[in-house]
Formats: sequence, structure tokens, C-alpha cells
Amino acid sequence: MIKVQGTRRAFAAVVTSVLLSGLLRPAMAADETIRLGAILPLTGPGAVVGTQEMRGIQFAMDAANAKGGVQGHKIEVIFEDNQAKPDVSVLSFNKLVDLQKVPMIFTGYSGPSLAMAPLATRKKILMINAGAQSDKLTKASPYLVNTLPSTGDEVAVMAKYLVQQGKKKAAVLFENDAAGIGGRDDFLELFPKAGGTILAQEAVQFGQTDYRPALLKLAAAKPDVLYVVITAGMVPLVQQLKQMNPDFLVAGTTFMADPAAIADPASNGIIHTQVQIDAPPELSAAFKAKYGDDMDFFARQYYNAAQIMLTVIDKVLSEKKPVTGENLHDTLFAIRKFQGLIPMEFKSNTATVPIGINKMENGKDVTLLQVTAE
Amino acid sequence: MVWLQLLVNGLVTGSALGVVAISFALIYATTKIFHVAHAGVYTLAGYLAWSLVSHGVPDVLALLLAILCCTALGALIQHQLYARLERRRATHLVVLIASLGALAVIQNVIAAVYSSNILQFPVPWSSRVVTVGTLRLNWAQILTVVLSVLAYAGTMWFAHRTILGKQIRAVASNPFLAEITRLRPQRIYVIVVAIGSAIVALPGVLVPLDLGLQPYGGVTPLLTATIAMIAGGVGSITGAFVLAVGIAVLQNLSLLVIPGEWSIGVTFFIFVIFMLFRPTGLFAKAR
Repeated sequence: MIKVQGTRRAFAAVVTSVLLSGLLRPAMAADETIRLGAILPLTGPGAVVGTQEMRGIQFAMDAANAKGGVQGHKIEVIFEDNQAKPDVSVLSFNKLVDLQKVPMIFTGYSGPSLAMAPLATRKKILMINAGAQSDKLTKASPYLVNTLPSTGDEVAVMAKYLVQQGKKKAAVLFENDAAGIGGRDDFLELFPKAGGTILAQEAVQFGQTDYRPALLKLAAAKPDVLYVVITAGMVPLVQQLKQMNPDFLVAGTTFMADPAAIADPASNGIIHTQVQIDAPPELSAAFKAKYGDDMDFFARQYYNAAQIMLTVIDKVLSEKKPVTGENLHDTLFAIRKFQGLIPMEFKSNTATVPIGINKMENGKDVTLLQVTAE
Repeated sequence: MVWLQLLVNGLVTGSALGVVAISFALIYATTKIFHVAHAGVYTLAGYLAWSLVSHGVPDVLALLLAILCCTALGALIQHQLYARLERRRATHLVVLIASLGALAVIQNVIAAVYSSNILQFPVPWSSRVVTVGTLRLNWAQILTVVLSVLAYAGTMWFAHRTILGKQIRAVASNPFLAEITRLRPQRIYVIVVAIGSAIVALPGVLVPLDLGLQPYGGVTPLLTATIAMIAGGVGSITGAFVLAVGIAVLQNLSLLVIPGEWSIGVTFFIFVIFMLFRPTGLFAKAR
């Protein structure tokens, strides 16, 4: 009997000490690695963008880890390939959250991000999008944060500029997916509001590179400007436009800023809005030395997004809170203003950043003017 | 004159698809294998030529070497995959799955070696524009039409005028009877898949000259070519070629009356209706 009581006491002591140690210990042991997730297109037609996005994140994390991590914690990012497909993205999301227990996920491409948004809300996982721009992303989830303006913001800037330049009759070529349809809808709404008229619109499929039938039909409408909202296949597009010898201006969004298209002489004269984000020369040089490629727009965007996350994690750890999706989310909005590669403020889920109007000229992308969209 | 440019663009696209269709028809009619990996051979041809041209090999030589490599790959697939499966009495479904597996392997190897980026051929002449009246075509498009029509004519001549062509048709018609007459169908199968692979390598190089290379870009042309083959009448080379051209022209011209996103759906709906009334295909009697 005494022996049983002793066993019970010992068991109670063990349970109490375990519980107390759980309550008293810090939110995270100092040498524990913090794992984050990233769901990006690493194969398929979106891979060229996805790979640069992955490099941008990894470049920032490698630099932070080389300096000892964040308050002694190494940061590891687990990359999942979604091929830019929404259904694959949902599977990847569940895998990262349920198996790897990541508190936040970097995402890109509108369709995949929109597919994962309800899961992020339900499971309180912070998602950072630094590449996709569909307007629906701005209100898809309180846990989906966009570090670049929506297509609607860019379209508003371009619509106003085109009408000011006397280009009042437009045709629209758009990609038949979330990003393209969102951009098309914005243009159909905002261009007439700015004083323009829409003459025609045609859809193409994601990854399609034969644009000739659609371009011929749109050109037959005799527009002043062709507004393009597609996310892949820019080089064939500019070459086929050149072949047509069009008498209209070609305009687009940040998506048009494909370095290969800019370098192609056929792109001369094309204008596009551009979310402004520059990297210091030494940072660009280090990136090129590491990966052999230029630090393009998407690499800079995701490097910047990774820097934001590192700042947020640092603050969460300073406040002795566990690194959960909810705490990361609340802390991001508590900090609100970030000074990364560009000054950025989160008055809502979508950051306020400068937007430029660029023109492709002789292999260069020249900024004509710059405005800040809300 | 938009309709004229759309018509000519349709003829360009259709002629390349036509060559894919006749190569697939040749293989299917003879071996009865639904050779899905043909899409992989088509894609690989473009990447091989791109590699060779990028390393300074003259364009024509690169095309010929790509055709040669694809011929060998086709023979290898038949000899080492399909023939082995047939010896083990595999069903048609098993062979189809094996072919799908071979396609996945080829596509993944291409994506791993070359990345999934859309690659452009480093040949400036291909995008130079030739103007004929109101028509504007580049050299890649002109070359595609000319060589595709030659490939069709050459295939017809080969099938009807050469001994090997007649042997292939004999095996396609009745492999058991052909075996009695010492034709050795398995040897003919290897030859026919090799020839089909050589033929499909031609549009495999010419189309990316104009539209760029993508590792997964071969499936859609093969799907359209398959439909053309069936609608044209299985076994009819002319049927496959003409129907492929017809589908491409219809897809292009349909844009005059319907939005682009409906084009593929409407075109194939017309073919479904057509097949209901003529299930053996348009050129079935010409076999």
C-alpha cells in the first residue's frame, strides 16, 4: 500500500515537473531550427519565375543563417513544387502544415494562392505572396499578405497614362486564368472610367505560345493600344507582334518584364507598369555570383519578402512568443512599416509601394515616370 | 483580309500537325500500339536540334542529326519496350501505360536537363518576315509548310512505291499472313516506329523554330494528330494529313465568329458530330 502511494507520488511529481517545465521554458529552445514553407512553380511553364522566387528566398535565408540566424535560430525553408496548379498547391499546403508544422508559407501565382487562402484562414497559417497580383488576393484571407500591389492598382495607373497619351481605343489580350482574367476585368472597368473605349478582347491559354490568331483578330478592331495581361511566353509574343508590324501601341503590366523579352529587339517600344523594387549593386553582384543569373524582379521581390519575415520572426522571438502563424500575422501588422529593398507599409493586407511606367528600348527597360498607388 | 492571314496561319500550323498525324498513323496502323511516347520523341527532336545549334553546329546538320537520334530512339522504344511486352503477352492497356511511362521519362529528363523555361532557337533568320501582298510570314513558317508537304509526299511515295513500304502495308493489313510469307512482323514494327520517329522529328524541330521549346509541349499536337488520324480514317495517310490541316484551319477561321477560348471546344464538337455520322473516318474507303 505504502509502495503504491509512493509510486503515485512519484508519478504526480514527474507529471507536475513536466507541466511546469513546459510552462516555464522559453517559447523555443535557442538552437532550434525554425522551418518555413514555400509553394512555388519549380517545373512547368511558370518555372522560370518560380525558380527565381525560390532563389530570392533562399539567398536571404542563407545570408541570415551565415550571421547566426535569428536570435540563434537557423531558418530553413522547405520548398514544394506546385507547377502553378491550384490542386497541387492545396496538397502541398496540407503537407507542409500538417506534417512539417510550418507557421508560414511563401506563395506565388494567383490561382494557387487563392486555392490555399481558405486553408490559411482555417489553420491560421500566414501566407506571404510577393509575385501574384489578382485583385481577389487582396481580400482572399486575413492570413494572406501581399507585398506588391494588385493588378488593379497597376491597371489604374496605366489606364490613366494611356488616355493622357491620347490612346483612347483599346483591345485586350489576356491569359485565361485567375491572373489574366483579373487583369482583364480591371482594365474593362478602369479604362472606360479614365475616358477610354474597349473595342475587343481575346483569351489565350497559360503556356500557349502561338498568339497569332488572337493578335490578328484584335488588330482587326483597329485599336490605339493593345493591353496585354499574360504571365508566360513573352518572347514569342513580342516576336509575333513584330511580325504583324502593328500600328498600335502595346502596353502591359509587371508580367511583361521578362528579361529575355526586354533583350529581344522585337520588344522595342512596348510599355508596361512596373512595381518598383531595386537591389543595391553589391547585393545583385553577390546573387549573380551565387546563381549565375541576374537578380531579376521576382528574385528581388521574394528576397524582400523573406527580409520582412526575418524581421517579423525576430520581433516574435524578442517578445518570447511562440512562432505560430497567428503571432507572425499579428506582429507583421504591429510593425506595419518595413524598410527592405523598398519602403513598404501595410495599411491593409496589400502593401503600398511605388509603381513606374517603363518602356522597353534597345534591350533596356527604361522608367518613364513613377507614381504611388494606394 | 484578316481571314486570309488566319487561313494561311491555319495551313502552316495544320501542315506541321499533319506530319505528326501521318507519322502516328503509320505507327498505329501497323503496330496497333497507341504510341503516346511519340509526343516525347517529337519534343526531344527540338531540344536536340537546339543543343546542336547552340554549340555551333550548322542548322541543316542539326536538323538531320536530330532526325537520326529520334530514329534510333523510336527503334529502341519498339525493340526494348513494346516488343518485350508483346513477348510477355501484355494487353493493349499495359502497352499504353508503358508508353505513357516512356513519355513521362522523356519529358522529365528534358525538363531536368534543359529546365522548364520556354527556350528560343538562337537562329535570327527564322523570325525574319517575308511579305507577300498583305500576308506576313516568317521563314520558320514558310519552311514548315514546304518541308511538311514534302514529308507528306515522301511518305506517300515510300508507302506505295517502295518494297519496304509495301511490306509495311502488308504487315499492317494482316500480320499473321505476312509472317507466313517470311515478312517477320517484329522486324517491320521496329522499322516502322523508327521511320515514324524520323518523320515526327521534322515538325519537332520546325515548330519550335517559330514558337519556342517546352518540355511538355508535345502532348497537345499529338492529341490533335490522333483525332485527325481517327477522323481521317485509321490507316489513311492522306486522311490523317488532310484532317489535321482541316482542324487547324477551322480553329483559326473560327475566331472570326467566336471568341478564342471557344475555338478548340467548338472545333472538336464539330468533329464529334462528324464522327457520329461517319465513324470509320473520312478517307476510310481509300485504304
